[in-house]
Amino acid sequence: MRKSRAAYPLTWRVMDMLEAIAARLWPARFARALPYLMLAPAVLLVGILVLGLVQIGDSSLRVLDTSTFLMSEDYTLANYQRALTESFFATVAGRSLLGSVIVTVITLILAFPYAYLMVRTPSSALRNVLLVALFLPFFIGQVVRAYGWLIILGNQGMVNEALGLVGVPPMRLLYNYPAVLFGLIQYMLPFAVLMLAPALTAIPAELEAAASSLGANWLGTFRHVVLPLARPGLVGAGLVVVTLSLTDFAIPAILGGGSQDFIANAIYDQFFRTSDQGMGATLSLLLVAVGSLLVGLVFMLFGAGTLAMTGERK
Amino acid sequence: MPAASAERRVSRESIAVSVRDVGMAFGDVHAVRNASFDLPKGKFLTILGPSGSGKTTLLRMIAGFDAPTSGEIFINNSPVSAVPPHRRAIGMVFQKLALFPHMTAAENVAFPLKMRRHDARAIPEKVERYLQLVRLGGYGGRRINELSGGQQQRVAIARALVFEPDLLLLDEPLAALDRKLREEMQLEFRRIQKELGVTTINVTHDQREALVVSDEVIVMEGGRIQQKAEPVHAYRSPANTFVANFIGVTNFIEGVVAARDGALVSVAAHGRTLTGVAVGDAPATGGACAGAVRAEQIRIAPRADALDRLDTVLAGTVADAIFEGERIVYEVRVPHLGDQLVRVFDHDPVNHLQFSPGDSVCLGWNARDMHVFKK
Ligand SMILES: Nc1ncnc2c1ncn2[C@@H]1O[C@H](COP(=O)(O)OP(=O)(O)OP(=O)(O)O)[C@@H](O)[C@H]1O
Ligand SMILES: [Mg+2]
Repeated sequence: MRKSRAAYPLTWRVMDMLEAIAARLWPARFARALPYLMLAPAVLLVGILVLGLVQIGDSSLRVLDTSTFLMSEDYTLANYQRALTESFFATVAGRSLLGSVIVTVITLILAFPYAYLMVRTPSSALRNVLLVALFLPFFIGQVVRAYGWLIILGNQGMVNEALGLVGVPPMRLLYNYPAVLFGLIQYMLPFAVLMLAPALTAIPAELEAAASSLGANWLGTFRHVVLPLARPGLVGAGLVVVTLSLTDFAIPAILGGGSQDFIANAIYDQFFRTSDQGMGATLSLLLVAVGSLLVGLVFMLFGAGTLAMTGERK
Repeated sequence: MPAASAERRVSRESIAVSVRDVGMAFGDVHAVRNASFDLPKGKFLTILGPSGSGKTTLLRMIAGFDAPTSGEIFINNSPVSAVPPHRRAIGMVFQKLALFPHMTAAENVAFPLKMRRHDARAIPEKVERYLQLVRLGGYGGRRINELSGGQQQRVAIARALVFEPDLLLLDEPLAALDRKLREEMQLEFRRIQKELGVTTINVTHDQREALVVSDEVIVMEGGRIQQKAEPVHAYRSPANTFVANFIGVTNFIEGVVAARDGALVSVAAHGRTLTGVAVGDAPATGGACAGAVRAEQIRIAPRADALDRLDTVLAGTVADAIFEGERIVYEVRVPHLGDQLVRVFDHDPVNHLQFSPGDSVCLGWNARDMHVFKK
């Protein structure tokens, strides 16, 4: 008797006890409800978000009375009309959309070889260096990094000084569209690499060896084997980068110096400069709509299955 | 001597693969050491060896995925170390098949033809022909995950053969299959290889597969080639104790050489003298040696008089009787050999399971069936 007791480890008995308590609290016949119970916190969080959205929708239908600085009592579509007709908003929207697309394309092109090398290199030292370099920027934070670029790219910055050494006169490298895009790409790169790496890990190296023994040079292997199989990762990384850069605030604000506002900056101005909550809410909703449309479009083009969320592909 | 040199040239031209002193070291792990062999065109060679013996490494070097750290490999008599895999005409079937999951079976088979820029109009017909060759006619439109394991295997074979490579490499492609399917596929390999006459190197650690399908067998161990021979030869006259132990079920009797008489050797073991034939580097008198007797070459009988025509007869007690279907394996404890357990196959169709544990029996074998190796 004693011996069998000793053979039954303490941790197992603790588990048994916990199971017994769980069975009291949640009898087996409720078992089918368990998944829903576990889903509840997430649903609650999303629910709160929806409530906020309703509130914002309400604000967007009221205009600011410039004499009293109060929101109107009546509902009107005037904000939407302004947002869709005034050329200032169209410029900002166009700049953000075009910018996020350019940033996404360049980021993916830069991230792919990085992720590929990180996944495939036989040298674990190199892999570690690449990983650390990848996570380092996360510790620095977006705003600090943007200020860093101000220092490096400023008129008296390192780049201009280096150019001066070879006789090039100082150039204005900041406060323009390319500077914002540059900053965004630099910010997005680690995200894209992190999204791509698992997708590339999932492609067996043997497939590439097989392709080469079947007569494909590296380009053929890349085009016909690696790229199609990496598509879920590319779509996922692309979605993350496009939505993050479309809605980014800090980089356009700091590296654009006020002249290169993205939608988020315009929303900020409406809420905190002109105090026009209605217009701010309208722009926010339009941003949500455009973002959702973009994501929906990608899903339609590539199918939600490409995100490897369906179990069907192995 | 023009005739002789012409003859030599002919024989040189009939060599498909020549491996010369090839070695491969990963850091200080020597995965392959001093491997040398020639493989004539159209032959089926099997590399047999335990796990980690360097089989895959050797195959990958022939395919061109890894460069040897020493030595040179010749394919059709030209050195290939500077030739990348996609410029070698080698079809390879991988251990895990490495089929492209985003393509259909037909697209997989068409892939090498496209990459090698074959005439696009001829591709569909050729793909179908090779799918038929592996008995998958009409399955071309299936995706890879819609095929069974054996069917996937055959797609991989069709893909490796469709561009008519000079050489086909198989890295244990049958290892994952169940026994019945594996045996079917072994014969299928043999049929296809004969039909197309393609030179083939097959890697396996299944000794049965090696014996069934091959023209020649290489046994590897610890990165070294232990023996290269025809299957029958490797089985009947193993070059050393490792090969004797690896192929088939072999009993080893350790002792010292008591006397030599030409090829015949008397071995003194546990106070008895047994006679066998010397193999390879003949052990000198007084030297340690091991006599190897295969389980199927030992006769088992209830009494010694049934075995009186055999050179060596020993008494023992049955320790275990293992039923394996087509045969019974008896483990017999032999007091005269220091209580060593000797394994014996019994195929007797009449007296099925004639002995049970505890029975006294006699074992006997012929002198020519005991191979004596130097220790
Ligand atoms: N890339 C590598 N780096 C370091 N060591 C390696 C590498 N590849 C193989 N080895 C070592 O070389 C030896 C031979 O390996 P190999 O894969 O050729 O064995 P194998 O005969 O194919 O075995 P198995 O039957 O298990 O497939 C092993 O000891 C293995 O650990
Ligand atoms: Mg192997």
